Amino acid sequence: MKDHLNENEFNINEYIRLDQMPHFLCPGCGHGIALRALLWAVHQLGIDKDKLAIVSGIGCSGRLSAYVDANTYHTTHGRPLAYATGLALARPDLNVIVISGDGDCLAIGGNHLIHACRRNLNMTCMMLNNEIYGMTGGQVSPTTSGDRYTTTTPAGNTEPVFDACALATAAGASFVGREVTMQIIALRDMFKKALVHNGFSFVEVISDCTEIYGRKNDLGASPEMMMSQKSTMRPFAYRNTVDVPFRPNAMKTGVLTEVDRPEYGNAYREMTAGLRGEKGGT
Amino acid sequence: MSEVATPKNVLIVGVGGQGVIMVSKVLAQLCQNNGYEVKQSEVHGMAKRGGGVFSHVRFGPKVWSPTIPEGEADVLVALEWAEGLRWINYLKPGSGTFIADCQRIVPPFACRNRGRGAEATYAPQTPEEIIEQVHAGFAIDATTMATNLGNLRAANTVLLGALSTALDFPEEDWLESISMFVPPASIEINREAFFEGRAWAMESDKRVDETAAGLHKAHTDIHNVDIDTVVEITEEWCKGCDICVKMCPERCLRMNDQLIAELALPDLCTGCRMCEWLCPDFAIKITNTPVTPPALEPAE
Repeated sequence: MKDHLNENEFNINEYIRLDQMPHFLCPGCGHGIALRALLWAVHQLGIDKDKLAIVSGIGCSGRLSAYVDANTYHTTHGRPLAYATGLALARPDLNVIVISGDGDCLAIGGNHLIHACRRNLNMTCMMLNNEIYGMTGGQVSPTTSGDRYTTTTPAGNTEPVFDACALATAAGASFVGREVTMQIIALRDMFKKALVHNGFSFVEVISDCTEIYGRKNDLGASPEMMMSQKSTMRPFAYRNTVDVPFRPNAMKTGVLTEVDRPEYGNAYREMTAGLRGEKGGT
Repeated sequence: MSEVATPKNVLIVGVGGQGVIMVSKVLAQLCQNNGYEVKQSEVHGMAKRGGGVFSHVRFGPKVWSPTIPEGEADVLVALEWAEGLRWINYLKPGSGTFIADCQRIVPPFACRNRGRGAEATYAPQTPEEIIEQVHAGFAIDATTMATNLGNLRAANTVLLGALSTALDFPEEDWLESISMFVPPASIEINREAFFEGRAWAMESDKRVDETAAGLHKAHTDIHNVDIDTVVEITEEWCKGCDICVKMCPERCLRMNDQLIAELALPDLCTGCRMCEWLCPDFAIKITNTPVTPPALEPAE
C-alpha cells in the first residue's frame, strides 16, 4: 500500500538552503515550481549533492542557484554557459546544470548559447522563459509576445519572437525540450532525461511573471497565467492527432530533439591524452 | 439451426478495444455463410477513450430493421461486466441468454468521488445475483482464461465459445469464420480459446466462475484505500499567490485574512499533492499515511 501512496513523495527541504528561505521571488512566480521540478529530478536520479554544480547568471532566474544546497556559482549576466563550459571541462565528474533566463540566455548570452549548443558539452541548461526582464524593471526581452506592454514598449511590442528551442536545435544541441510549469510531472521527467543525456541538453520552461508582466498586460494572476499557458501549448507527442488544426500557432511542448552526437568533453580529453602519448581518454 | 421465422437477435456490448466489433463480425459472417440474411449495426464512437461499444446483430430468413428493440435480444454478450448490466433490459425476459465476462473495467465516471474512503460507483450487483435472475446465463472469467492461454486479447474468443452453445451452428463453421477475422499468427490460440469457452459453457444453463466473487472483492479493496493526509503549511514562506487555492481539485484550501493559505476543509482533502507540487514558495508539505485497520490493541 505504501508505494503507490508515496511514490511521488519528495522533500525539497533536503535540497534547499533553509536559512535563505523564503526566497525573494514575487508571489506567484513560476520559477519556484521549475526549481522544484529540477531538484525533484535530481533526487529521483539519486545524484549526490556534492557532485551537483549549479551555475546561474543574472536576473530572477539567476538567484535560484543561491537557494540550492549544492555547489553553486552565481556568475555575470549572460555568461553562465561560458563559466559552466570551463567547469564541465575541468571537472567531468560533476553534473553541471545551468539556470538561465530568457534575457540572460537569448539576448545578452545568445552568443554563448549557440556555441555551447555547437560544442555539445555534457551539461544541462534550464532556460526559464517568462517573456520579460523581471528583476531589472520589466524591459522587453527577445521572447516577449507581440503587442505586449513592457516598460520599454509602452505602446506594445512589435518585435518578432525568438523560438529558443528551434535556435538550440539549429545550433546543434543534442537534447531540446520545452514544458510549462503547470505540467510539473512532465517537466520533472524531462529534466530526468536531460540530466541523463550525454551532451548538451537545453530545456525551455515556460514560466509566468505575474507582478511585472501579467499585471501590466491584464493576463490575470498566476493561476490564470499558468492555466492559459497550459491551454495554448501543444504537446509534441500529439503532433499527428486531430488536435493540430485547432491550434495551428500553438508552441510545441515535450522533447523536441533527441539525437546522438559526439560529446565535446570526451573528444577533447581523448585528443589531449593522445598528445601526451597516453592511450584513450577518461 | 432450424428455420427461424422471426430474426434471432444477438447484442454484443463491451468497452473500446476489447473486440466487440470483431465478435459481431465473426457472428455476422457465420450467419451469412449459413444462408441467413444478416443486419449488423454498431456504435463505437468513444471506443478509443475506453468508452462503451455496442453492436446489434440480427439474422434470419428475412431481416428488416437493423436494431434490436428493448426486451427482444435472445443473447446478450458482454465483454465487460458493467456494460452487460447496462444493457440487461434488452434481454428477452423468460428466454434470453446472458453471457458476460466477470472482469471489471472501472469507467472514469465511476471515480467521480475522489474523497478518502469513497467507493467507486461501479455496479454493486454480484455475478451470482444477476445470473440467478436471468433465464440462462454465464459469468465467465474469460480474461483470466485467455491470459492463461497466453494472450489476453483472445478473451473475446472465449466468449464466442460460450456464445456458440446458445446458437446451434456447427463448430467448424465457427472456427472458419473466426480464422477469417483474427491475425494468421493467432489462429491457433483463438481456436484453443474458443474450445475452452465452449466447454466451460456446455456444462449447464447457468454457471458462475468460482473466482468471480473474489475478483469483485479485490477491486473494491483497492478503491477504498483509507489514507490519512497531513497538510503542513509554512506560514512564513507563503506569499499568498493563490495558486494552491485555485489549483486544488477539491477546493479545500483558502486564503485567510493575512493572505496566507490555510486548509479550510480538511475532510475534502484527498492528498493528491497538487498544492505541494505547484507551490512556488515550497510552503506546503503533504504526508500521506495509510490508515492501518484497528489492531487488537487500541492504536494511539
